[in-house]
Amino acid sequence: MTRRTIRDHLATAARVARTIVGAPDYDRYLTHMRRRHPGRRPLTREAFARARMDDRYNRPGARCC
Amino acid sequence: MKKVLSAATWIAVASLGAGSLAWLALSRGETVNAAWLITAAVCTFAVGYRFYSKFIASRVFALDARRATPAVRLEDGRDFVPTNRWIVFGHHFAAIAGPGPLVGPTLAAQFGFLPGALWIIIGVVFGGAVQDFVILAASVRRDGRTLGQMAKDEIGPRAGFTALIAVLGIMIILISVLALVVVNALRASPWGTVTIGLTIPIALLLGIYLRWIRPGRVLEASLLGLVLLACALYAGQWVAANPSLAPIFTLDAKTLAILVMAYSFAASVVPVWLLLAPRDYLSAFVKIGVVVALALGIIIVLPPLRMPSLTRFVDGTGPIFAGKVFPFAFITIACGAISGFHALIASGTTPKLLERETDARPIGYGGMLMEALVGVMALIAACVLTPGVYFAINAPAALLGPTAASAAHAISTWGFTLDPAAMQHLASQVGENTLLSRTGGAPSLAVGMAQLFTGLLGGSEAMALWYHFAIMFEALFILTTLDAGTRVGRFMLQDLGRHVWEPFGRVSWYPAVLLSSAIFVAMWGHFLWQGVIDPLGGINSLWPLFGISNQLLAAVALCVGTTIIIKSGKARYAWVTLAPLAWLAVVTLTAGWQKIFSLSPRLGFLAHARMLAQGPAAADTGRLIFNDRLDAAVAAFFMIAVLVILVDSAREWFLVLRGDRPAASTEVPLEPTALAS
Repeated sequence: MTRRTIRDHLATAARVARTIVGAPDYDRYLTHMRRRHPGRRPLTREAFARARMDDRYNRPGARCC
Repeated sequence: MKKVLSAATWIAVASLGAGSLAWLALSRGETVNAAWLITAAVCTFAVGYRFYSKFIASRVFALDARRATPAVRLEDGRDFVPTNRWIVFGHHFAAIAGPGPLVGPTLAAQFGFLPGALWIIIGVVFGGAVQDFVILAASVRRDGRTLGQMAKDEIGPRAGFTALIAVLGIMIILISVLALVVVNALRASPWGTVTIGLTIPIALLLGIYLRWIRPGRVLEASLLGLVLLACALYAGQWVAANPSLAPIFTLDAKTLAILVMAYSFAASVVPVWLLLAPRDYLSAFVKIGVVVALALGIIIVLPPLRMPSLTRFVDGTGPIFAGKVFPFAFITIACGAISGFHALIASGTTPKLLERETDARPIGYGGMLMEALVGVMALIAACVLTPGVYFAINAPAALLGPTAASAAHAISTWGFTLDPAAMQHLASQVGENTLLSRTGGAPSLAVGMAQLFTGLLGGSEAMALWYHFAIMFEALFILTTLDAGTRVGRFMLQDLGRHVWEPFGRVSWYPAVLLSSAIFVAMWGHFLWQGVIDPLGGINSLWPLFGISNQLLAAVALCVGTTIIIKSGKARYAWVTLAPLAWLAVVTLTAGWQKIFSLSPRLGFLAHARMLAQGPAAADTGRLIFNDRLDAAVAAFFMIAVLVILVDSAREWFLVLRGDRPAASTEVPLEPTALAS
């Protein structure tokens, strides 16, 4: 395996892990902004993390047993 | 040729499953290996998934991979995000799996392994997995609407409101019973108390890390957190071995209960980034870690089940909780067989992530089968203990007495044997002062896991570490349900309260935040306190209430599902949700009725209150009588809620079937997906 593919695999694993625990995925957000709203300036990583966290906890869903 | 081969394979899988089930059911006297139970479960689940879930997907819902999902149509990069189905599966599983499937089967093992095993295996295929799948599919077709909204839209405003109040009641009972599990796991255990106590500063540290040092780097922070958790485990061991520090952290149940309430209150009012969010991430990893570790341990060791297939306690005289195998086995095991709470998750985040409609089948039905497997593993972990040890850990002190010798005597009258010296030795092996009457299921699961791992890796001195590793992980994710649940409850209260007094509903006005958090903590704290002072250990009365409430929510979900199926013109398939609904209604109403009105003081709340009132008055008598009556009222409330929703739904079905009401679909109209298929 080349170094390039190892890094790709690690990045994929990290993305999977983040989605599973429900953590915000900044890279995916950037991709979305580039594709859907090319004219708008995306939030910084810090601002995105804050916005997602506030959003998640201000509309709390249920908690499972 | 391919068709023949496939048919032959499935016939083989089905026969293997049926054979294993028969072996489990018919074995008498000899010990059965856990391998039979796992084979029976895995084969049944495979057949159920391949055939029954496919039937539901194609015939009942006609799921269509070409139809655009909400994630595709409403993609916003935040909530609505088309996501690979395996990742959604992981997310959904992490959200539905909790302490429920670990505790319920452990407690139900008092009937022997067979009732629990059959209920999980059959119940999930026809009940739990169907519920999760149906609600997920319905929500995906309705832009990811929640269960409460669907109840209101499909059945009517009264059903919607009843569901809302019921969810609040269920949260209160759920949080109090889980808090009691943690309290019982940490009682008189300096090691456990220190380890769990340290998870709070660890979470604060991670919160600061994520906010100020490396914003948004959740994986880094979680990795750091896991390393710190391992350190906390050793710190606990060190404190417990230190003669001057150990007594400070050897706490009784009342003190622990107050600490748990104070912690949850604090977690509900401090900013989420500081405590709640970092704990949430950490505990999601921990949860998956525990499940994987348990599964590996069982699959590699394949231990024999020491518990008989049926015990004498099927007659209702069991020490852990009262009541006969019907209906109480079906109330005690909710999560794992069917859990109403999942309907809230399946109509929450998950439907907003599906890339294709057809993914609802592996995620909804398949995800619940995975949870059932966790339930089976927990049942195995309870049954690998000898029955004597199992009852010594799980039966309340009022029945066992204070010493290993008195416990051995009590257990011998139940027809099992316990060697007092061996019991004391086991306690010191796992680094505890005592394991007697550590009710709630967590310590017994931890002992089972510690025995499995010690059997696997050898080294009996490592047993204490394994035990506390299991306790730490369980307590960590239970506390995460408590703190986050308290916050959810606070929001619900504020939402209800704003109709009475508008400022109470302002979620960022600090006086309202403090007041609503305090009220909610007081509500579940009352039940926790009741459990702590209860001479019978509390689990006895609270776990059945939790089971009834969770099954009530499942009944709501199945009512919504049935209504949707009938309104979409598929009334001939309504039995898919009606059959489990009928079973749940019978089980919940029977159990509720018996808990309230049974003439036996061991079982009936009111009979117990009468017995106390006629007996000699002690300091606590008045409060115990009040608690019994309150429990009876709570059970009655849940039963009335079930009836309201059942009656309203049945009327709706009747009107639609008779043609008096148009079978209007609330589905979002079909729009082809833009995704390449």
